[in-house]
Amino acid sequence: MIHPIQIQDMLQAALETGGDFAEVFFEDRTNGQLGMTGGVVDTALSGRDFGIGIRIMKEHFSVYAYTSDMSEQSLIRLAKSAAKAIRGGGGPGTQTITLHPHAIPNHHPIAIIPDGSQKCAKIDMMRRAHEAASQYDPSITQTSIGISNSIQNVLIANSNGLLVEDTRTYTRMRISAIATDGEHRQSGFRGPGAYAGTEFLENLNIEENARHAARIATTMVKAGYAPSGRLPVVIENGFGGVLFHEACGHGLESTAVAHGTSVFANKIGQQVASPLVTAIDDGTIPNAWGSLNIDDEGAPTQRNVLIENGILKGYLIDRMGSRQMGVPATGSGRRQSYKFAPASRMNNTFIANGASTREEIIANTEYGIYAKSLGGGSVNTSTSEFNFAVEEAYMIRNGKIAEPVKGATLIGKGIETLQNIDMVGNNLDHSQGMCGSVSGSLPVNCGQPTIRVSEMTVGGRKGE
Amino acid sequence: MNIQQFQEALFTKGREIGYVDMEIYYVNGRSTSVKVLKGEIDQYTIVENGGLSFRGVINGKMGYASTEKLEPDVIEFLLEEARSNADILESEEQDELFEGSESYPEQPAYAGELADTAPEILIEAALEMERTALAADPRIVMARHCSVSTRENEVLIVNTKGLHCHRRKSLATAYVYVIATEHDETVTGGWHDYSLRSVEDINIADVAQKAVTEAVSKLGAHTIQSDNYPVIFRHDAAAQLMAAYTTVFSAESVDKGFSRLAGKLGQKVANTKLTLVDDPLMEHVPAGSTFDAEGSATRRNEIIKDGELLTYFHNRKTARKAGVQSTSNASKGGYNGKIGVSYHNLYVAPGSSTLEDMIRKMDRGLMIVELQGLHAGTNTASGNFSLACLGYWIEQGKVVRAVNQITVSGNFFDVLQQIEEVGNDLRFTGNCTSPSLKLASLSISGS
Repeated sequence: MIHPIQIQDMLQAALETGGDFAEVFFEDRTNGQLGMTGGVVDTALSGRDFGIGIRIMKEHFSVYAYTSDMSEQSLIRLAKSAAKAIRGGGGPGTQTITLHPHAIPNHHPIAIIPDGSQKCAKIDMMRRAHEAASQYDPSITQTSIGISNSIQNVLIANSNGLLVEDTRTYTRMRISAIATDGEHRQSGFRGPGAYAGTEFLENLNIEENARHAARIATTMVKAGYAPSGRLPVVIENGFGGVLFHEACGHGLESTAVAHGTSVFANKIGQQVASPLVTAIDDGTIPNAWGSLNIDDEGAPTQRNVLIENGILKGYLIDRMGSRQMGVPATGSGRRQSYKFAPASRMNNTFIANGASTREEIIANTEYGIYAKSLGGGSVNTSTSEFNFAVEEAYMIRNGKIAEPVKGATLIGKGIETLQNIDMVGNNLDHSQGMCGSVSGSLPVNCGQPTIRVSEMTVGGRKGE
Repeated sequence: MNIQQFQEALFTKGREIGYVDMEIYYVNGRSTSVKVLKGEIDQYTIVENGGLSFRGVINGKMGYASTEKLEPDVIEFLLEEARSNADILESEEQDELFEGSESYPEQPAYAGELADTAPEILIEAALEMERTALAADPRIVMARHCSVSTRENEVLIVNTKGLHCHRRKSLATAYVYVIATEHDETVTGGWHDYSLRSVEDINIADVAQKAVTEAVSKLGAHTIQSDNYPVIFRHDAAAQLMAAYTTVFSAESVDKGFSRLAGKLGQKVANTKLTLVDDPLMEHVPAGSTFDAEGSATRRNEIIKDGELLTYFHNRKTARKAGVQSTSNASKGGYNGKIGVSYHNLYVAPGSSTLEDMIRKMDRGLMIVELQGLHAGTNTASGNFSLACLGYWIEQGKVVRAVNQITVSGNFFDVLQQIEEVGNDLRFTGNCTSPSLKLASLSISGS
């Protein structure tokens, strides 16, 4: 991809003005995207992203620069102009950099590498999704299906001598269905994906996923509005884990913790959640959507226990966070592409299994909301106020799932909500999402068993 | 390889393998950004980056492919991928390349020296902004994000039908986001401003002061009881809400059955007080533009006038299908996307009320200043929204206290009809702008 001597020269130039660490991230990525609206193929795009980013650190200060011009002069010029921004002098660095290439073990085997020859087979798969969704119910009036894949080749090297290369292969299917009932329209969505090749699609139950999206749209178009106010909420397994992702996960990233601005800062060893809650971020799960062999700083990913029986055990820490906090990094440095400096981010985050069954949880709830499918959410890590949208919800009355309700947004504050988790199921499952933050949009898994929060603010509509 | 050499080599090779017409859409930019924290530079970012999208007609169909690498070895990738992408497209409505408009408007949007601003000027401006913010109020504990940046970019579209469009723009921005605390309560607030000409044109002290006012005024917040209340969306929250639903005005969404505005042309879709305009030719706005992604000369379009829906956003393909003229709203979602439909500089035309007047006339109600989770809590198919928000409780014409831990829910199409008053406080900061809007009643969830 790029010659080690060139990288050595770049790193050397980067440290000329007194920087104490330099790193390059080179990326050559191929993207493919197919789309179908109403059963007709209307999108077919291919792209090649290509560039290099260089980061220089001096103590707690960092400079980042990137370009897609890979000529030798341009790379040296980039390194030198970035180095000029290093302040505080300290004289020219005298470090001699020798890179030691080493192979990393691959924990994520790929069976069928995505390439252009599979376009026709993928169109057949999209058509199957369209057929299954549109035949689910007469109220389904439109579908939108997509398949995207990418192969990201990365090379990461730094002034400590590290030189590693890796290839990340992603495949994802997106299924949207729209149901119409006179004036009302609702949509339903499913987006299964993996760190895998085309075999992921071949093994996927496409029809089941399509019917799932269609069911959400069909159910919600007939639903009345959710009630307002503070209620018990049962959150279904799988993507329900976005609750933990927003309520807690972002607040545990060193990007938020290092400056003391997160509500979770300085709370290691303290009870921050119900004793029923154990939460883990694991970047090593084979072929999972949020997994990596090495993070985007070249460190192996690991399994990080964040909360154990309600006690805060650890944070997600990248290289800069490690410097600022004086603790080891956790293999959590991630970035969307060479266009972003890395930051501490989640990989596959989940709440571990508890002892209750889903049936027990629902049967024990006299009146509340059953949030079966969740949409996305967001959080302000300084105040810990978070929100997320419920795509498919039902009322629970007298311990039974009752009528569907739409428009239920759930809001709360991090620690308060985690402490209000009063039942945890035994049916852990994971789902896929894209997480947007300072270092771009990244694939992450959110997971959990069915849980119950004793009280949350539900944003429905009063008097409807 | 420079862009002209690359384009010539690409078109020559393309012709050899059977492409009839071809086009490149090229974007290139550079930027410098300084972020400070606690009186020190925290991050310094330098960018030089570009990308190119190719599209071409082969065997009667249009194929697309893109690259960030402009070297001879990617020419084959582009031509082969675009051909195989063209092969599988089933849509009967074909894109076609455009030979260009008769003439193009002029718009001064480029200050050559802006991107060459000395780093010391950016650094000093950012440090001053942080100092001002921290000194403005003892409750401000940190400027969580404080940055000043400059950037310039160019867009070039060239095709074999003779189109040649080129545009350069420059922009300087200052952004600060502060944290305030009092009695164990933490709140945040931010502000930003920009200039198309120079960093020195931005009133740094004013940006800092506004961010501080935003943050400290949220202290003392608590929730309110769930009920229906009259609501003022302050200009920034109103712009957020409008921006989340703009795809409903796209002819592409209408045609594909995603928009509830299908079949509503000529009808009253909003209160007569509402006029919605897309004006890319306005001067000194960040979202100005003289041609769209297909190379059509842009123009001012009224989308809604006095409540009546006059047109959707069209590109050449959607216009042809609907039997109308393109509104020059062809867009590209990044250089690597396909041609779609979007607005340039969309805004709700200002009315006559000041925000202070709207507040003064409100007996009991809520002013919303920030909406959260719009990517998930809004449904463009139904128009329904349910969103976490922050605001202020108003009683007898006065702001009484801040409100948090609430959601606002309703339906965008109903909101358009229910607008009672349109403010005069239009402030162009992005590509979708609104003055403050007052509504008779919306559902609020709290305690």
